[in-house]
Amino acid sequence: MIEVLSSAALATVQDLGRTGSLRWGVGTSGAMDNLALEAGNLLLGNALDAAAIEVPVFPFKVRFSEDCAFALTGADCAARLDDQPLLPWWVHQAQAGQVLTLGLPQGGAQRGSRAMLCLAGGVDVPEVLGSRSTQLRGAFGGHEGRALRRGDVLRAAGAGAGAACKTGFGLVPPALALPLQQGGVAAVRVLPAAEYMGFEPASREAFWAGEWKITSQSDRYGYRLEGEALRPIAPMELRSHGIVPGVIQVPHSGQPIIQMRDAQPSGGYPKFGTVIEADMWRLGQAPIGSRVRFIEAGWDEAVAALDEVRAWLDKVARMVELHRGAPAARR
Amino acid sequence: MQDIALQASQFAAWLVDTDIGLLELRTPQGTLRLGRQGDDIVELPAEVAEVKSELVSVHALSLGVFLHSHPLAAAPLVRAGERVEAGQTVGLLKIGPLLLPVTAPLAGIVEVVQADDGPAVGYGTPLVDLHPL
Repeated sequence: MIEVLSSAALATVQDLGRTGSLRWGVGTSGAMDNLALEAGNLLLGNALDAAAIEVPVFPFKVRFSEDCAFALTGADCAARLDDQPLLPWWVHQAQAGQVLTLGLPQGGAQRGSRAMLCLAGGVDVPEVLGSRSTQLRGAFGGHEGRALRRGDVLRAAGAGAGAACKTGFGLVPPALALPLQQGGVAAVRVLPAAEYMGFEPASREAFWAGEWKITSQSDRYGYRLEGEALRPIAPMELRSHGIVPGVIQVPHSGQPIIQMRDAQPSGGYPKFGTVIEADMWRLGQAPIGSRVRFIEAGWDEAVAALDEVRAWLDKVARMVELHRGAPAARR
Repeated sequence: MQDIALQASQFAAWLVDTDIGLLELRTPQGTLRLGRQGDDIVELPAEVAEVKSELVSVHALSLGVFLHSHPLAAAPLVRAGERVEAGQTVGLLKIGPLLLPVTAPLAGIVEVVQADDGPAVGYGTPLVDLHPL
């Protein structure tokens, strides 16, 4: 078990998401940085979609009430286990009674915004509609359908003295292994969407050429961006229609909104583009106030990018498995 | 050690008739050192001082790329002159996407980080030298 010691604003239990329920009007939820979740689970030998704790606000503190292996991925948060500094993107062993503290994200240009705390066996909360992710809008899933609070106690399915898990190794973070920048600025690839051609040519050009600031009105539901306003050729009034995480809508202000993991399943604003699935983890780590650029992509590129992410995860899975199987290092 | 001591006079007797200048016998029970002084064979004191001050090298336990610092950090994990505890990570070996720790086998002071940051190293390459405490 672990007990939350800090007033853990907005920290939530997330897995890879509640896919397949959009038709019931139930949003996807799931880890904003799915790659961090999957990598953390691989380090622990968990199922790829085991639930973990996503931490967006710091400091964050938990106490382990029993021995438990855990992996830290996502944003590098100068973590400490009691007084011992911990390496990021690493699998560690906690003893009963030890306190884990996550500080402010660090790392300059590589700075992320969300830490993933993965636990041996995954966070043991009930599955709802096939997922353990917290559905904040619907107030179900995760831990009691809400963000964590001080005093909450969570169980790790694979904790305990008898559980053997090889710890003390890590990964080169995907931000370094799969870098993507445009003109020195973090970038994501975007497929033009249904109403793209309804915008003025100058706006379409400006969208790809400009830098977009992620404003403070950005969270798990969506990122509101700030840049050169996108102007439609003629006003567009649409009936509400289905949308998915990644869709970039343009409201009347001309300042785009990117739908994120907790997006509602429908909306009526014109759709300018869609961030490709393979790059959603990059956006999930983009800090408020940082700048992002968009790279135009086609369907084939989007699929190839997903293959590239899968290939990285497969390589990690293979290497971790080899390392787990290797005899303990000689001294 | 007792057995060796009992054997000392026997060894000495054998050595008298040879031209061997020094005999050193190391066994799990202890070390025997016999030397020649003129025509006599005498027992010499064990050498202890040199062992104390010896540097301990931390070797690569696998093939990999040696890194002085974590890829996300600018600062090296240890610097020369720094005190490290047993089990502390003093460097990293990168094998594809995997990072393995290079750990100090005992507490000590870092004498020098021998291997450069970045090149591939083979099994057994000395990476970091420590002064044991």
